Parts: sequence; C-alpha cells; structure tokens
Amino acid sequence: MLSLRGLGKDYGARTAVAALDLDVERGECLGLLGPNGAGKTTTISMACGVVTPSRGSVSIGGIDLASRPREAKAKLGLVPQDLAVYDELSALQNLRYFGALYGLAGAALASRIDWALGVVGLRDRAGEPVKHYSGGMKRRLNLAAGLVHQPELVILDEPTVGVDPQSRNHIFETVKQLGKDGMTIVYTSHYMEEVEALCDRVAIVDAGAIVALGKISELVAQHAGKGLELELAGAPEVLDAADRAAAAHGKVVRDGRVLRVLPNDGIASLVAAIEAVGATIVRIESRQANLETAFLALTGRGLRDAA
Amino acid sequence: MIGAAIKKDVWLLLRDRGALISLFLLPIIFIVTFGSMFKFGGDSGTPRPIPIWHAPGDARGEAVARSVSATEGFTAVAVGSAEEARRLVTTSANDAALVVPDTGPVELVIDTAAPVQARGPIQGALTAAVMRTLSPVPLDKLPPFIEVKSPPGISHPLEHISSFQVTVPGNAVLFGFYIALTTAMSFVGERRTGTWRRLLAAPVPRWKALLATLVPYFFVGVAQLTFLFGVGALGFGMQVAGSLAALAVLSLCVVFCAVCLGLLFAAVATSEKQLGGIGSVVLLVMGLIGGCMVPRIVMPAFMRGVGHMVPHSWALDGYYDVLVRQGTSIADIAPSIGALLGFAVLFAGLGLWRFRFER
Repeated sequence: MLSLRGLGKDYGARTAVAALDLDVERGECLGLLGPNGAGKTTTISMACGVVTPSRGSVSIGGIDLASRPREAKAKLGLVPQDLAVYDELSALQNLRYFGALYGLAGAALASRIDWALGVVGLRDRAGEPVKHYSGGMKRRLNLAAGLVHQPELVILDEPTVGVDPQSRNHIFETVKQLGKDGMTIVYTSHYMEEVEALCDRVAIVDAGAIVALGKISELVAQHAGKGLELELAGAPEVLDAADRAAAAHGKVVRDGRVLRVLPNDGIASLVAAIEAVGATIVRIESRQANLETAFLALTGRGLRDAA
Repeated sequence: MIGAAIKKDVWLLLRDRGALISLFLLPIIFIVTFGSMFKFGGDSGTPRPIPIWHAPGDARGEAVARSVSATEGFTAVAVGSAEEARRLVTTSANDAALVVPDTGPVELVIDTAAPVQARGPIQGALTAAVMRTLSPVPLDKLPPFIEVKSPPGISHPLEHISSFQVTVPGNAVLFGFYIALTTAMSFVGERRTGTWRRLLAAPVPRWKALLATLVPYFFVGVAQLTFLFGVGALGFGMQVAGSLAALAVLSLCVVFCAVCLGLLFAAVATSEKQLGGIGSVVLLVMGLIGGCMVPRIVMPAFMRGVGHMVPHSWALDGYYDVLVRQGTSIADIAPSIGALLGFAVLFAGLGLWRFRFER
C-alpha cells in the first residue's frame, strides 16, 4: 500500500534522511519509532507529499506520488501531531472544509462527515466551535479530519500525545477498529503499549535510516537483552558522575535518580563503576526484554525521551 | 475547493473581532476624524472667522470687512479693538486677523512662524481681499490679470469639493492595504497550526493551495472597499464625479496589489508577532508616504517624488481623479492602474521567489 524506495532528504549540507526503503502492506499497521531528529517526521512528510524528497520515490496504492500526486494523495489521510484544525470553526465546518479538499461535496460529503464524527464520538457536539472543546476532543477531531475522505492509508503522527487517559483510550480504540476494518495504518507514538498492541510490525528509524524492521517479537528476540533498573542515592554531581560511569559499561537512559541500563558486559563491572564515583545503589532490578529495551539497544536512547 | 476555502476564511474572519475592527471600523473612525478636521478648518459651508478692527464708521475698514466676507471660506468678525484682534491670533483661537487704521497700510496679524503650507493660503486670500478693496484703481474696471484654468486633457473638477472627497479614498487606501497583513497572518497561522501541512497533503496542486489562501482575501478586500466607499457616499456625501466603472476597476487593482503584498509578507515573515509589529508599521509608513493621511499636494516636491515609490500614491491619484474630476474614465486613470498592476507583479514575483511551501 505504501512503498518508499531510496527515499532521502537533504537540507543544504545536512542529510535528514539518507536513503530509506520501506513497504507497508495493505491492511497492515506499521509502527514507526525513532528518537528526535532521527528523520521520522521528514519521512512521514515525504510519504504524504508535504516535503519534496531529494531522492527516491514514494508510491501509494501502486501510484507514484511524484508523477500522479492527486491520485496518490487521494488514497492517503494524514493526522499530524499538531492540532491542525480551525479553533474558531465548529467540527462540522472543519470537516466540510477538509472534505472539500478531497473533492467531496453534497450528500457524499455529509455522509462522510457523519461517519467520521461517529467514529471519533463527536456527533453530539459537532456544531460547537472547536475552541470550546477539551484537548482530547480536539485530538479526536484532528483524527476525524484525516479520516473524513475514508482514505485507504492513514498516517498518524503521535495521535494521542498530550490528551487525558479517557480520550487517549478512545483514540487508541478507534485506530484499532480502523485497522480491523482493513485500513492501512502507519503509526508513531510515545507509548510503547500502544505500538505493541496496535502494530503488526515496527520500523525503528535512527540517523535518517531504518535500523530495524520486523515484527515486535522478532525485534525483541534479535536486539533486546535483559535490562537493569538502578535507583541511586547521592548528590546531583555524584549522580551525574554515576550516569557517565554507567555509560562506559552499557547503554543508559536516566530518569532522575533512576538509571535504565542495557549492560555491555556483566553486572559486576557496572555496579563497581557506579560505586566508584561515590553513588549508592538503593535498588537494582532486572527488566524483561521488550520493545523498549530493543529500542534502547538499537538507538542508545529511551523511547519515552526520544520518540 | 477554492469555494470551500473562501467560505472557511470568511467564517474565520467573521469570528475575528480584531480583524473586523481594523478592516471596517477603524477606517470609518479615521474618515470621520480627518474629514471633520478638514471640514471645520474652513470651507464655504463653515467659513473661517477673521477678527477685524477698524474705527467706528470708517468706510475703508467696512469695505475691507465686506471684501473678506465675500471671499470663499472666510467671514469677517468685528472686534472692539486692535489689541483684541491681535490677542485672538496669539491665543490660537483664530488663524489671522486684520487691523485697518484710518490711514496707512492694513495690518495682517498672522503667526509668521506657522508652516507656509498652513499660513500661505490664508495670507494670500486676505491680501487679495484687502487689495481688491484698497486698490487706487478699481480692479473690476481693469482687464483680468489672471485666469484660473485646468490644463488641457484634465476633466473639470466638481464645484464644491468636500473634505470627504479626500479623506474617504485616503483611508480606504490606507486600510485597504491592511488586507495584506490579514492575508499574511492567515498564511503564518496556517503554518503554525499545521493546517497548511494538511492542505499540502491533500490532492490539491500547490498553486491551487496558494490561490485558495489568497483568493478569499481578495474578496474580503473588495467587500471592504465597497463598504468604505458606500459609507463615504451615503453617510458623508462623497461624490463620484467620474465613471463608476473606473472606480470599480481602480478598487480591484488596489485590492489585487494589496493581496500580492500579503503574499510577499507571508513569504518573508516567520511569525504572527513579527507581522503584527513590523508589517503594520511598514503599511503605516507606506500610507504616510503615499499621502493617505496628509495629501501629497501639501508635501515638498522631494516627498511627492518619494510617494511614487509606494502603490498608495498611485491609487490616491487615481481615486482623486475619479471622485473629483467630472467624466473621468478608465483610460484617464490608466497610469494609476498600470502602476498598481506593476507593483502587484513586483510584490507577487518577489513573494513567489521567497515563498517556501515546505518551511
């Protein structure tokens, strides 16, 4: 359904995306993960035709985006990370406008709007100005605006970021249902559990390239080792020194006084290095191998900090 | 799709109280203020009072007073003493006064430090009024020294030109160009909120996406000028001496030029804050140079030349002809139309060159 071939983008001398190959099958849900600056947003933008690639090609539903952009884009829905809706207009007016961009009009537009509002649960308040909506409702409208033309492929860029748990769950369940209904989905999220629950496969992007691609179970088996979580005590400068010391013995993500480490070698040398700088280890726990530890192993950074 | 964009932007504008005030209400306030300032400054309807003193029963003084009152825009007001006449000028209640002694020259009391643009016409008119009276040879018995005529090719002006013939177009042009700011704000806002990304991701050619963002403001600009000239005509008695077609074509050119300037603003601006600060000052300066607030006719020659570097002055020259000169046709204002279209092409060219769809 979506095929990226040698896709790359340069901004002057800087290469944001080198040459990326990726195929998303029809009806598949693919998770796209990557640290900040990895090239994830640039990749999505090129796939949507928002950014012109420096090289390579994008094909949507077998249609080349560069040579037949209107046909290719008609199959695609974008749900950007920004709340890309008009606050002063009602949900209905927003969807009328976004539907019209896809050539919808009259009864067909009304029917699609009704469907999209139903999908995101906003029918009851469709006539209200969006500025009166809660953050979660705005997110749901953001999703509806990307779905109103019932695309074959939808690209969701952090669709649940910054919303209350109830709305987040609603959006999550909506996307899950869209997947079940056969829509092809490319999904990026901060939330590991969302990606694990929704996606058939995951592509991890780092430094402008796909560093791993496969089913979650495969990625975990191939790349994730058992991780450690260490809670430390000590002065801030001591904790900083412990962070640096741990980094010499593995991949480390720090969250205040807690270090999550994927050790290169044994635990003993790691513990010794931390204690040598004067830090006290209050707690040490083994962590199960999962997508997060796989991500850490591949990128050297934590997903929550980076995605 | 462009129809949907127009509908959307009109809805957005109707909910934007600030934009509505600056596009529709502020110009009316300015028109009333400036129009009133010029109107009550002295015209045939509200003549400027000139205090005059002469000895009781002095035939010479009475003749001068009659001559002043017969001069358009002035009326003589007798005062009790020469000192009082002088004092009234000193206290700024009056621009000038006349003291007519029994013999010798008449004293014209006027602040000689006042700008010549303000002082000159009053001094000239009162001097002429006095000369008509005191000339040893009655002037009406002599062949005329001078005849006032418009040069060939220029249509005749209206008989009585009201101040609103000048202040309505002046403020219509000044605030009409503010549609450039509204247009650019819309672009920057679309980028900030991400709706521009949505537009680019839709099956809409980029030229059409650009047009869809510009066209609504063209129509808003046309509505704005229609409103302002409508209020000018119906509310303030502004007349259209030339053809309505010429007024319409000129107004379309003004709006087109302003929207093209909006594209240029959108291409170089990075934030709404920057636009609000720098953009509005640029438009204000352009309006000042172009003669929207102070007519260019009272400016020194150098500034009049500088005025031609902004489209506002060309627009105002055209409007003046259409509103004041009888029978003015589209052909008569061709230089203004040409200049406005030239500026539009320049603004649009620079804007397109600098515009980044993918910023």
